[in-house]
Amino acid sequence: MEHARHVFRIALVLLVVITAIFLGRGFLVPRSYGTFGPYRADNVAEQMKIRPPAHAGAASCAPCHKAKSEAHDAGGHKAVSCEVCHAPLLRHVTNGTVSGKMPVDRSFTLCARCHRRIQGRPDKFPQVILEQHVTSKLEGAVCLDCHDPHSPKP
Amino acid sequence: MPEITGYAFPNDIHVHWSLMIVMYPYITGFVAGAFIVSALFHVFGREEFRPVARLAMATSLCFMAVATLPLNLHLGHPERSWLVMVTPNLSSAMAGFGMLYSTYLLILVLEVWFVWRQQIIESARRSRGWKRTFYAMLALGTYDTSPEAIAIDHRAATILAAIGLPGACMLHGYVGFIFGAIKANPWWSSPLMPVIFLLSAAVSGIALLTILYQVVAKLNRRVIEGRTVAALARWLWFFLILTVTLELLEIIMLAYEKSESWHIISQLLTTRLEFSFITIQMVVGSLIPFILLGVVVLMDRYLHDRVRNTLCIASSILLLLQVFSMRWNIVIGGQLLSKSFRGLRSPYSPEIFGREGILVAIALLIMPFVLLWLFNRVLPIFGDDKPHAAGGHEPPPVTAPVAGVHAG
Repeated sequence: MEHARHVFRIALVLLVVITAIFLGRGFLVPRSYGTFGPYRADNVAEQMKIRPPAHAGAASCAPCHKAKSEAHDAGGHKAVSCEVCHAPLLRHVTNGTVSGKMPVDRSFTLCARCHRRIQGRPDKFPQVILEQHVTSKLEGAVCLDCHDPHSPKP
Repeated sequence: MPEITGYAFPNDIHVHWSLMIVMYPYITGFVAGAFIVSALFHVFGREEFRPVARLAMATSLCFMAVATLPLNLHLGHPERSWLVMVTPNLSSAMAGFGMLYSTYLLILVLEVWFVWRQQIIESARRSRGWKRTFYAMLALGTYDTSPEAIAIDHRAATILAAIGLPGACMLHGYVGFIFGAIKANPWWSSPLMPVIFLLSAAVSGIALLTILYQVVAKLNRRVIEGRTVAALARWLWFFLILTVTLELLEIIMLAYEKSESWHIISQLLTTRLEFSFITIQMVVGSLIPFILLGVVVLMDRYLHDRVRNTLCIASSILLLLQVFSMRWNIVIGGQLLSKSFRGLRSPYSPEIFGREGILVAIALLIMPFVLLWLFNRVLPIFGDDKPHAAGGHEPPPVTAPVAGVHAG
């Protein structure tokens, strides 16, 4: 036993470490953790407070952009929300007044996301093989040279 | 533009688990593999592994130190990583990693302490000033190096190695479990997955030590023990055969059953993974080392030391490549098949500079060796034991892992 002193010391260190871990955990687990599941329940309210909704849906564009909105609602893109190609409303309007220019994504890659031919898409859905469909250089807003995104014709 | 082939779901075309998720099992594999080598000596008393036992343990610890980095790099927010320990979601397999990792780390650190204790005391006695304080703290203030105390150290190291071995197996088997337990993916979902991961971990660990041992011995101008290299080669061959057999068995089962998943897996293997699976993993990484190591194992007595050592180094390098490509084929390959099982997603090529890029991956692989060098500066791995020539009949000292006594 006399020669096992170092074993007792390391065992003591181990005990201290393990106790510190368990005690520390007691302090570190947030109070509302586990109320509804393995997450901090208070976080839900906190996240809602710090993140005002940025998207407002297609209906929120109509009051100011009546003509565009009507054309959009009658066209083939009626199911595509304005904020898919334009930025979320919050970038353009804050508290009911215009606060900045609305950014628009005119890139061909955005169009290609839905209209590039992939076997997995329904046959009737308009889709093209980009390299064959576009004869000029495949870049920038090339699709918009021929197609009106608000009311596209195939 | 992504290249999709076949009938892939259009909303699910990208590979999200990047190169870092390939690095994660690769690095963790070295931890388990190196520990297996040290356990062969500490637990199973394989004397031929004495020269690499401490190197193996230090390597295991150094790889352990960086094992969590790939995950942190992939997920971001490393400041939140401790939450997996404090508030684990017990229904998630990922929660297991925190617990297994820390338990195993504790065992490994304890074992390192017992194995290096004599050296720590020697250093404390030899040094002055803050260095002495540091070593004295490491020694926990007891300077008992009597044969009885050393015998206790030896026994403690053996017990810890015996606990650590299943710990290392669980740690790495668990990494395989994460993939094997994903039932939506036929390329992953297999009970064989943890076993394959574990066996290939042993392959990568032993291969790394085969190289490291010879390089370190050369750098320190020490004798490379022929029987150690030959023993490493034997075990490497054994684990290589096991792991490749299981890897192939899994595919042969799928192919013979011709289940619905084989339709897409056969395409995956012959198109997207043609190079990394067939060429690298199976031919360059398995068949060639199998032959080279076969020569070493079966014709050992006809081989000159240098020929054997070179053959071992060459096959070890190929095997490190094999294990890396195996991790790549599992992690990336599994994400290339669309959930439709009728099409393949766009191929994945890692970025070079980004947080999950190739340069970071290389840095991650270099880091353990830098740590190993630092470790060796603080706690010399080879100690002061004399480089004993092969076949020496000196009785082994009482301190099995710490060979020899301070020679001045």
